[in-house]
This record gives sequence, structure tokens and C-alpha cells, in this order.
Amino acid sequence: MFGIDDPGIWLAYLLAFACLVFSVIYGIVNWNKDDEKENSQRNQ
Amino acid sequence: MSTLLLGIIVIIYVFILAWLGWLGYRQTKNSSDYLLGDRKINPMIMALSYGATFISTSAIVGFGGVAATFGMGIQWLCALNMFVGVIIAFLFFGGRTRALGVKHDAHTFPQLMGYYYDSLLIKRICAAVIFISMPIYAAVVMKGGAVFIEQVFNLDINIALFIFTVVVAIYVISGGIKGVLYTDALQGMIMFASLLFILVWFYKIMDIGFLEANRKLTDIAYLVPDRLKDLGHQGWTAMPVTGSPQWYTLVTSLIMGVGIGCLAQPQLVVRFMMVENNKQLNRGILIGCIFIFFTVGSIYHIGALSNLFFLKTEGMIASELVSDIDRIIPLYIDKAMPGWFGAIFMLCMMSASMSTLSAQFHTMGAAFGADAFPKLGRSKNPNSTIAVRIGVVVAIIVSYAICYTLSANVIARGTALFMGVCAATFLPVYFCSLYCKWVTKEGALASICTGIFASVFAMLFLHKAEAIPIGLCRSLFGCDVLIESYPWPMIDPLLFALPLSITTIILVSLLTRK
Repeated sequence: MFGIDDPGIWLAYLLAFACLVFSVIYGIVNWNKDDEKENSQRNQ
Repeated sequence: MSTLLLGIIVIIYVFILAWLGWLGYRQTKNSSDYLLGDRKINPMIMALSYGATFISTSAIVGFGGVAATFGMGIQWLCALNMFVGVIIAFLFFGGRTRALGVKHDAHTFPQLMGYYYDSLLIKRICAAVIFISMPIYAAVVMKGGAVFIEQVFNLDINIALFIFTVVVAIYVISGGIKGVLYTDALQGMIMFASLLFILVWFYKIMDIGFLEANRKLTDIAYLVPDRLKDLGHQGWTAMPVTGSPQWYTLVTSLIMGVGIGCLAQPQLVVRFMMVENNKQLNRGILIGCIFIFFTVGSIYHIGALSNLFFLKTEGMIASELVSDIDRIIPLYIDKAMPGWFGAIFMLCMMSASMSTLSAQFHTMGAAFGADAFPKLGRSKNPNSTIAVRIGVVVAIIVSYAICYTLSANVIARGTALFMGVCAATFLPVYFCSLYCKWVTKEGALASICTGIFASVFAMLFLHKAEAIPIGLCRSLFGCDVLIESYPWPMIDPLLFALPLSITTIILVSLLTRK
């Protein structure tokens, strides 16, 4: 994978790419989302 | 590029920093502003500051040089920086840390621990650990910046070191955390653009693609010098031989030490206490991961691939060309990048140094003024920041002095060492303050002390990399390390100290529960 034979190396690249994809999706989905508990505490 | 033009660029840069420091100064009204920015920092600025603080010259010059010498195994550090340092830290530590900080009105990491465990002693010990161990890390960061300037610009290292230390000192002392954060955000953007450009430029000048470059690097594994093969080196796209000295250094010191240690760094933990709500932390995950991927990931990748460049242009691999690991990346920039980029990269390196240094100086100053001597200068005005400012000055002087005692090849190791001590000392108590309510004050205190003593003991008597240069073990017992049979001298102190401090906090808490 990625032109690298050793899984010990390409797994590191795979993890970094996975983290990047996760962060983008998570960041966009939760961009305006605050902690619900905290909101309810504030409302009380 | 002419020295005059370089000088003008640096002067403009310094003026912008001074202006941002002045903005921080103008917006700082009391000690809460000075320490935490009144907990209302913009998430973009917080995340950029978190990333810029994370990535020092150590990450660029030190670990980039490690990648050039030992290969892409160091990319685990990038992956762990993203996974542990951003995703785990923001998701599982950030929100709870922020809430705990608000609940106890804590402004520093030692205050957070001291107030949570209701122990003045814990607060003071945490402050002492920070104030004693962090200058070593700060000195390593200073050296990273100075090495680069010396290499590329042929400037006197002492003058370069002095000027940028004074600049950082001015905006940290005057602007407080706001000065630090505003300058960090600017510096983070400079670092992001520069390191991304280095990545793109490599493929342009070598005229190859991502996969092809990796394959070519695999094909030159036979060029690994014998001295590195003996340490376990199998090529730049392969992990070292499992259990070899290089494997232990890479896995236990660099990857685990920094990968785990980044969770419990006081200067990063306080970033979580600066934002207003968890929404800001969610945004921080996105910004932080992108930042680390394209900065740290780029330089480690190019570090390893620089061997292809040096082979093509100089006829030899990087570590054959320069013996000092810390000088490989500066040499690559000098040889491979366009002339005008030298100035940009100089700003990048100054930014990397300054952003990390400013956070360290601020954290050490806070440990001194807000935690160790909270009454200093506050007899008339309880909101005075004079003690923290004095602490910053003392921290700068100590770090500056240590910087002159450092030898070659220390940048990556010095960083790993500090983060290892942080992990062993602070991580169990920090984690338990967020997740384990049954942990007692006595358990926390015992864990901190165990972490400190186990780390120091392992460095002095067990781990070859520190024990031999320090020499205490030899002078007391006549041997380099107490356990000489392989692999014990290669195992990082973190692997002794962290399990011990975790075990201690559990056992002592169970024994002292009421």
C-alpha cells in the first residue's frame, strides 16, 4: 500500500489518513454542536 | 537572497509579532486574562496555537533528521500526534478539562490538579516539576532554531539565539497568554504554508509521484550504512528489526514517549481551559488534525525522501553527507529549495521555535508566579501579574543557560525525554481527575512522586542514552547502567515509570479510601 511493502510503515500512513478523514467529517458534523448537558444546565 | 532583504523580512516579522504582543497587552486586564485569556479564546486561534505549540523546531529539524537517517517509521509519531494528541485529547480530555477548570476556577495545570485533589502540596509539586524539567525542553527548542539559522544563513549562532529569545520574552512578558495565542496563530499559518510547500516542491523537482518516490526509496535500502544496519536499520520504508537498538529507540522513546507524553503536557492542557464551550473543541479537532497532517506529516515524509534527492544531486545518502542528524533538514532546505524560500523557511523555523518557546515560557512563568509563589507582588493588588512575569524572566534565563550546555543530536531525544517525564508524572493523576472519582489525594500524591523518582532513577541508572552522558551510575557503581543485559539499557524510562505511577495511584487510592 502507498508504494510501501512493510505493513509497519504503511499502517502509520493509513492511520494518519484515517485521522484526517475522521477529523474533517467530525469537525463539519459537529461544527455548531455544543455539549447538550451543558446547554440544559445553562437553561436551568 | 541578500542579507539586506533577509534582514528586512525578519524586521517586518518581528514588528508584526510586537504588534500582536501589544494587542495582547492591551486586552489583558487581570491575572485571569494573563493566564487563560478570560476563557473566551476563538477556537481557530486555540487550535492553531495548540498545533503550533505542539510542533517545535524539534519536530521539524530533529525528527525530520531522524526520518532522513532512520526512515519512515517516525510517521507513527505523526499518526499518534493526530490520533492521541488531537482526537483522543480533544474528545476525551478537552471537554472534561474545560469543565473542571471552570468548576474549580483553575488557571494553570498545577492549580487544576491541586484544587481537584484539594492539596496545596500537589499543586506545588506539579509547579516544581514544570519549572525544573521544562527549561530542558525549552533549551532543546532554542537549539533547534539556532542550528537552522547557523546552517543556512551563516549568522553567528549566539546573536541569532539572543535576538529571538528577546523577541519571545517581550511578547510573552507583556502580552500574556493573549500575546502568545495571537502570535501562535500567525506562526501556525506560516508553518503550515511553508511545510506544505516543501512537500509539493519535492515532487516537482524530482519529477516523480507519491507511489514512485516511495518505491524508489525502498529500492535504495542496500545503501543503508553498515553502522546503521548493525542498529537494526532495514531501509527507509521498513521498520527496524524488532528488538534491535533502533527499534527500541524508535518505539519506546520517540513514538511512545512523545505519542503518549503529548496527552499530559501542561502547556497543551491549559489550551482546553481557554475556550468558552465544547463547540470550540469540536472545531479544534478539525483544524488541529489538518494542521498536524500537513506540517509534521510533510516534514517526516520529505525527511525520509531527502535521501533520494541527495543521492541524485550529491551521490550519497543524507546521513553520509552530514553526521549530525539535526543538520540534515537545514542542508536539504539549503540545497533543494529555491533561494527565495530560504527566507520563508527561516520565518517558519523562527515561528516553530517561538510558538513552542512562548507557550513554555508562559507555562513556566505561571508555575512560578501563580502556583509556587501566589502571594508574590499581590499584597496590594490581588490581580497583579507581576509574579508570573518574574517567573517568565527566570525561566528564560535558565533555559538560555542550559541551551549552551547541549551537545549535538539532542533535539529529538530531549523532546522525547521531557514528554516521557510529563507522561509518567502527570498522566495518571490528570486522567483520574477526569474519569476516576474514587482516586484519593494520597494516591495522587504518591503517583506523582513515583512518576518523578522512577523517571529520574531510570535516566540516571538504567537508560543508556541518559545514564552514560550523566555518568552518575559509573561514578557510584563503576558501570554505565545497573542492568547491562540487552535490551534493558535501551528501554525508555517511560516504560518503567508510567506503569509504576499508574499502579501506585490505584493501590494507594484503594488503601486510603474512606
